[in-house]
This record gives sequence, C-alpha cells and structure tokens, in this order.
Amino acid sequence: MDIASAFGMSEIALQLLVGLSRAMILFIISAGLSLILGVLRVPNVAHGSLYMIGAFAAYSVNQIVGGAAGFWLSLILAPLFVALVSFVAERVLFCHLYEREHLMLLLFTFALMLIFGDLVKFFWGVDYKSVTAPDMLKGSVMIFGLPFPAYNLFLLIIGPVVGFALWLFVSKTRIGKISKAASVDRMMVGALGINVSWVFCTAFVIGCFLAGLGGALIAPTMGITLGMDHTIIMEAFLIVVIGGLGNIWGALVGALIFGVTQSIGVMLLPQFAIIFPYLAVVIVLMIWPKGLLKSVW
Amino acid sequence: MKKLSWIAICMAVSVGVLFCLTPAHAAKPIKIGLVDCYSGGATTFTYDVRDAFKMAMDNVNAKGGILGRQVEITTRDTKFKVDIGVNVTKELVMREGVDILVGTINSSVALAISEIVKDAKIPFFSTFSKSDKITGEKGQRYVFGITENTAMVGKAAARGLAEKPYIKYWIAGDDYEYGHALGDGVWTNLKKFKPDVKLIGQSWWKVGEPELTPYLTAIMAAKPDAVIFATGGASMVNIMKASKATGFSEKIPMFVHTATELSTLMPLGQEAPADVLGTSNYYFYFPETPENKAFVKEFQDAYGRYPKVGALYGYLAAQYIIKGYEKAGKFDTEKFIDALGGLTVDSPVGPVEMRACDHQAQLPMFMGVTKKSPDYPFFIASEIKTIPGPQTVPTCEEIKELRSKK
Repeated sequence: MDIASAFGMSEIALQLLVGLSRAMILFIISAGLSLILGVLRVPNVAHGSLYMIGAFAAYSVNQIVGGAAGFWLSLILAPLFVALVSFVAERVLFCHLYEREHLMLLLFTFALMLIFGDLVKFFWGVDYKSVTAPDMLKGSVMIFGLPFPAYNLFLLIIGPVVGFALWLFVSKTRIGKISKAASVDRMMVGALGINVSWVFCTAFVIGCFLAGLGGALIAPTMGITLGMDHTIIMEAFLIVVIGGLGNIWGALVGALIFGVTQSIGVMLLPQFAIIFPYLAVVIVLMIWPKGLLKSVW
Repeated sequence: MKKLSWIAICMAVSVGVLFCLTPAHAAKPIKIGLVDCYSGGATTFTYDVRDAFKMAMDNVNAKGGILGRQVEITTRDTKFKVDIGVNVTKELVMREGVDILVGTINSSVALAISEIVKDAKIPFFSTFSKSDKITGEKGQRYVFGITENTAMVGKAAARGLAEKPYIKYWIAGDDYEYGHALGDGVWTNLKKFKPDVKLIGQSWWKVGEPELTPYLTAIMAAKPDAVIFATGGASMVNIMKASKATGFSEKIPMFVHTATELSTLMPLGQEAPADVLGTSNYYFYFPETPENKAFVKEFQDAYGRYPKVGALYGYLAAQYIIKGYEKAGKFDTEKFIDALGGLTVDSPVGPVEMRACDHQAQLPMFMGVTKKSPDYPFFIASEIKTIPGPQTVPTCEEIKELRSKK
C-alpha cells in the first residue's frame, strides 16, 4: 500500500515527529541503563523501578510546590531524589556484589525491583496519580497544519540537550574518561591506582539519575501508576541490546529505531502495531548479533 | 468393679466435653476468604472491594454476626497470576477451611477459582472480573457475578451510542482479552441496534502502553466519526491525557468505557478532556439517594476517601452473603445457594437482584459525559442516564444456549 496516497505527506511527517519525541524519553532511560551495563557490568532490572520512583517523586514535588514552578523544579528534584536512593543502594548493597556472576546480579536487581515496587505502594498509595504540564507546554501547536502536542515538542528539545550533556560528561570530564576506560578494562584502571569503587558509584548514580529524569519527563504525559516499571524495563533492555551493550550512542540509535518503527507501524497497520518495534529488534539482531554499535562487553 | 467405674468416669467426661463443645461449635465464625491482587497497579481497584466488604462485615459482627455467628475474613494476594491465585485458593479451601470465597480482578484467576469451587462445593463471589464467561458460558451453581461484565457493558454502551448520529467508527484499546471482549461487546450490539454503522479501522496497543500519542494521531488522520476505546488499567488515565494533549478529544467524539470512573477522573484533576462518553456501575455522587449518601459517608468516615466502583462490588457481595444466610435460615451451603437465586438486596444504587438462572447481579449501568464540576477539584460525570440492569444482561435463554454449547 502506498502510504503517501492513503495519508497526506504532512500526516506522515507528523507521525514521524511523534515517534521521535517518544524516542527521546526512551533514549534518556536506556542511556542510563547502558551506562551502568557498560561500566559496572550490572544488568540492572531495577532501573525501571527508579524510573517509576522518578515519576512518583515528580508528582510529589508538583503537589507540594504547584504551578509551573513545581513542574520545572520536579525535573531537577525528582531525578536528584532518585540519584540519592541509588547512591544509598550502591554504597550499601551493590558495591559488595560486583564480583558475583551476572545471573546473581540479575536475580538481585530483580529482587530490588519487587522491593522498590512495594515501597512505592507504601509511600504513595495505590491510586493513579497525574502531573499537569505548565501552561506553555499544554495543548497542541500546529505543525504542517496539524495539531501536535506541545509537550512532545518540548521532549524533542530536551532529548538532544541531555544527549549533549552526556557526551560532555563521558568525553570531557576526568571521571567520564575513567569510567569509559573502566568499561573497557577495569583491572587496568585499578592497577593505575584509581579508586574503581568510586568510579563505579558515580557511573551508577548518573545512570539512575537518567532513569529518574525519564520518569519525571514522562509524568505529565501519562497516568503515574504502580507497574509502570515493568512496562519500560523490557523496552529499555531491548534498546540497549540492539544498540550495543554498554554503548550510550547505541542507546540513542536503538531508541530512534524503536520509537520511529512504532509510530509508523501504528499508522500502516494499526491492528498489528505492537509487533513493529519488536520486529525491528529481531531484524537488527539477525544482521548484527552484537548490536548496531560497538558493544563494550 | 474398679474397671467399670473408670469406664463410667471416662464416658461422663467425654459426654461433658461434648456438651461443652457443642455451643462452641455453634458459635464458630463463618470463614470468608478474600482472594485478589493486592500488589501492583490493580490495587487501586481491589483495595476498595476489600475495604467496603470489611466495613459491611464489621457492621454485622458488631450487631452479633450472621444468625449468631461472627464473620472472619482472611485475605490472600494473587499477584495477578493464575498459578498463585490457584495455590492460595486451594490453601484457603483445604487448610483454612473457608466457607465462602470472594475475589478477584483477574478474569483468568476467577475462571480458575470457579473450577476449584465446583469440586469443593464452596460459593464464590466474583467481584471485579469482567469476562462474561464467568456467569455466561462457564457459569455454574457455585459462582456469583457481582460486577458488570463485557457483555453488559457492550449492550449498555451500544444502547447509548445507537442514539448518536455517528456512522464511521474506529475501535482502539488494550491488546488483551478484556480490551477485545469489550470492543466486540460494544460493536456486535451496536450493529444490532443500528445496522448502518461501519467499522473503518482498529488499533490495539500493548497493555500499559505509556505513549498513546502516535495511535491517536494515526486515528485522527483516518477521520472516523467517533471512536470506541476499550481501555483498562493504566490506559484509563493515559488515553484521557493523550486525547487532551493532541486535541483529539475536541475533534472526534469519544466513548471510553472507563472515562467517568473516579479512578480515572480524580488523578486528572482539572486536566481531563470534557464531553467524553463513559459508563459505570457506580458514582459516589449519583444517584442522589439517602442510601447512597449514607454509604458514602460511612465509607469516608472509615477510610478517609471517596468510594469507587469497587466499593459497591465489595458492599454488594457482603449483602448477598448476609441476606442469603438469613433467608436460608441455617448454615447449609446448598440451601444458601438456593436462597440467593432471585434474592434482591438494597444497595447504594437501589435494589439489585441476583438472577436465579445465571447467578449474575442485575446491576444498573450509568452513562454520562465528563464535565467540569463546581463542587469537586476534578471532573465528574454529568447528563447521567440510567440503564436498568435487566436491559443490559443477556437473556436467560441466551445464557442457556451459551452453556449448552460446550
């Protein structure tokens, strides 16, 4: 079927933009997951829970502060809160476990996911929550003569900003360079007299900060519920796998593939739209079994 | 001689013990097992069922219990999983020896429990499972439906939609049994009531999909007259947010079964889309009867929140149990079940009959549109139309046919 004739060009372009904005959120979350995978070699299943905590924390900040100020503040405070939680988790629990096998770590982080889920239920209760975007990001703006949600436009801007900041961190700061080195050969980094434990801690906290940021960013677009952790973690892992384990730019490429195939698939064959991103994953992995970009594993 | 007196003493003692035990036996509490998902996203619904059920039973206990026996409630978490649901149910039946089972929000679990109680001969009250198989095709003597099911929602919604001028429809929803059953339920009935309607497309997203914008923009491009959304769980809120942000709700009329539920509208605050059509078994502000007001006040005093639809189901289940035993006049499971057939109990939404032929409560359905409210900090349903229970359920003949098929 010729989609250009079934739908106008502007409709397709708009659908593409929607897909890109979804990809931005996915990128921010999976970049964090990828960073942790690369540097610490921990497949952190609890990453989705930290994203959920980020969304709930954003809700609380919005409740307390209120208005537009509450929203902007939540974008900073919620990820910081998640970073704090992850810092405690890293220092108290994770730092003793790095030498264990991957399977052990996987089970451990899975247990952590269940614990975080119950803690969220305990502190925030069982009702659905919702955050309101500030007035300037509410409603829709006209693009190509069609309405496009203003908030998704905001996501299209914030995504590259976060990407740029991450690039600055990894390639320009000392700690970034060390963690990059540690992800390639951690024995060597340790032999050079660098305190690897703190490098790991920093990378872990930054990765979790990104999960929290993803949660805070997605909060105004959806209902904040228990169980949102399960939904995201599958997608985030798939994105990391197709992009190349531990490669942050791989996460970007993976997120773009995931977001765009989904939104275009929805337009082409709405009844079977669910399978499109997964189909893309299968195709990518058949051709590049180790992911699109260089895996650090 | 000595031996004989020993025997006499032993007999006297055992007779004495028996006498002491008999009154204790009569006062043995009625054990009720609540099996439901008490973890994760479903808790926003299941806690209301549990709390209202407990509230009603606490009341009856304070007044001396049911026919002089106190009610004891034991809860078990299914974690939304069939295997766990089956295990905890078996444990309640075999180890705890429960007299009655109440639950659950997961239809697969409810159907599994139905199989267990058929053999164990224990009455089971299905409080939140929406599959019409529970009291329809797979219905049986020991199962009672205390909630709307997809067949009832479909018929009620179709009655409302048939009065609207829309011809070209699109159906979208969560890609699981409930979503499809709901979509099919509305569509087959709408086709019957208004044969000229056309289905121009469908979209189904995965359960819990956080980003519905691409689905909505794609539907807008196809330009249907109206869209039927079959959503449950997290999508209930997500669809409202996405339809408002994309401008969808202002362009295309929407029917979202859960649009007017408190679980959906309360979190949205002032950010809900207006004029979205929805159906529900219960609103705490409607009907404005003394019964409903008293129920809302009691629930609020006990738990500090508004009762949602689940509270009605929990309350109703408790009423059927209490009145069922009272009508039976004694504690005999078969007599209790016979007594429940055709029994009408009072509830916040008026008298509700438990139909004898399929053990389905004849709940009325309310249909309204979302509107800003001067009284509450969130949108409420307005222009509410009541569709009486008997008009939404399949007929007894249809049920008979469904059950004889297998």
